[in-house]
Amino acid sequence: MQEMTNQFEDELFLPDFCAIRMVFVVIIIAQLAAFVIALAPLNVPLDDRLYDLGMISLFVQWCALGSCSILCIARRYLKRLNNTEAGLISYLLILLVAVVVNELALHLVYSSQFDDTSTWVWHFRIRNLAITALIAAPILRYFYVQHLWRRNVRAESNSRLQALQARIRPHFLFNSMNTIASLIPQQPEQAEEAVHNLADLFRASLDHKNKFITLQDEIFLCRQYLEIECLRLGERLKINWNIESLPDDALMPPLLIQPLLENAIYHGIEPIMQGGTIEIKGVYERNLLLIEISNPVSTETSGQQSLRSSGHHIAIKNIRERLDAVYSSLGTLTVQHNHDHYKVTLSFPYKNEYEDPNRR
Amino acid sequence: MNMKILIVDDEQLARTRLRQMTEKLPGFEIIAEASNGLNAIKEVNQHQPDIVLMDIRMPGMDGLEAASHIGKLESPPAIIFTTAYNDYALQAFNCHAINYLLKPIRQEQLHSALSEATKLNRAQTSALSTKEHEDNEPRHVSVRQKGNIILIPTTDIYYFLAEHKYVTIGHKEGLALTEEPLTTLEQQFSSSFIRIHRNALIAIHQIMSLEKTKDGLSLIRLRDLDKPFEVSRRLLPTVRQLIKNHL
Repeated sequence: MQEMTNQFEDELFLPDFCAIRMVFVVIIIAQLAAFVIALAPLNVPLDDRLYDLGMISLFVQWCALGSCSILCIARRYLKRLNNTEAGLISYLLILLVAVVVNELALHLVYSSQFDDTSTWVWHFRIRNLAITALIAAPILRYFYVQHLWRRNVRAESNSRLQALQARIRPHFLFNSMNTIASLIPQQPEQAEEAVHNLADLFRASLDHKNKFITLQDEIFLCRQYLEIECLRLGERLKINWNIESLPDDALMPPLLIQPLLENAIYHGIEPIMQGGTIEIKGVYERNLLLIEISNPVSTETSGQQSLRSSGHHIAIKNIRERLDAVYSSLGTLTVQHNHDHYKVTLSFPYKNEYEDPNRR
Repeated sequence: MNMKILIVDDEQLARTRLRQMTEKLPGFEIIAEASNGLNAIKEVNQHQPDIVLMDIRMPGMDGLEAASHIGKLESPPAIIFTTAYNDYALQAFNCHAINYLLKPIRQEQLHSALSEATKLNRAQTSALSTKEHEDNEPRHVSVRQKGNIILIPTTDIYYFLAEHKYVTIGHKEGLALTEEPLTTLEQQFSSSFIRIHRNALIAIHQIMSLEKTKDGLSLIRLRDLDKPFEVSRRLLPTVRQLIKNHL
């Protein structure tokens, strides 16, 4: 449902004129226009020019704020139209506002010299309407171009995020399949459990719709992943969870922690003959979640080690880019490495509701 | 007479599965299991299998290195690699027609691979040893002794000395002979050994001092050996440079 309304909002190129920020932008643009109009005529003494500026500003701001409120109200109806129709109608609405303000100005300010038939009055009306028409057109066009640009940026970052969405290593898939095949004759229940876990993991990694999941769900996926690996590695793999202090409802991009565990196993535990313990520690402070994953590494250098570590860096780089896309500089991943230990620290801000990137 | 099979895999479940599948096949018999390359070599020495089912990714010593050591036996067993995924390592061997099976392995595939199992030939063995040494130095040198493979840890070796047909390996436990030419050894261990003479490689970490005798000869002394080694005039500048950088 949320998806649908989002898409609908997407359709209309006009920004939300009810928003304070937008009203402010409109006032600024209007005032700039007023300056230009006041500056344009030659041979006007300074005092007159200031008086003119005042009157022009008053007029222009009335037009601008009037248009703003009309478009704010009309937004509901404009949404149902396509962008060409909406553009045309909002243009006409702005001109209508200009006409109304024009008449008000004639009545209130110039009522003493008011004479409907005088050419000055008609000149005044036509001039003001023409100026409004000339200024409103490029402004609407500007909103339209900005809308296109924003849509582009969003599409790009979406596709980038999808491309970066963690991919589970093929190695893991085939190893798990082999484990399941070995379990079927002797321990069919465990085999079934492993199939369920594997299915959940792949569902999560193939799901590109959910930009965020709760920490609780991510941890659940991690546990499912580790269950499969425990079947395979047996006694060699030990896990130590210590994450009670983290808020369960924190939102995060999916599969941010799981690949780090996969790394810890693939590069840390597997190459060690007697295995080892992966420590997962969570700290929550000053609205920031810190998740630390550490594992022992083999002190012996083997022929495969150098090749393996290059795979490691790809996963780390991928997670960093995803953090950057979602949290910019607030999300970080740091790596500490010495001869027998490897530690990564993931950190991102706490958020418990989905923030719509369209509303800005 | 049944074919004797050794199963090598670091995962218990994977070994169990191979065992169950092999037991269904007539004419084959599992004589041992091993959980890594080092144990595999031990079991090969002890049981002399006809076929080794060898996993590639294993802790300690991986399957490729173990195979290259095993391949040096007078009549080595046939080796069939098993792996979960098309490894980069295996892709390199496709052209050498080395047998491998992808996990999860099908019963029929296992059967046909076991029936067609052939011994590693010389070309394949040498392909294995050159391949695995591309990235890193091997951690062991293997030599043959009375039909067994003896592994000598590289860090225990003091020197390689070429004499007649063989190369003598001087190490912690004594002396050993290998047929590997000195030039091959020099390439394999280029970062931990240095050539000091036409017929000698010396472990760099063992070098204690470089001295000149009255006769104008340059001698290298090692930490753990009394016997000095002569440095040839031609190689003296390289040796001196290395000592300057290392000590």
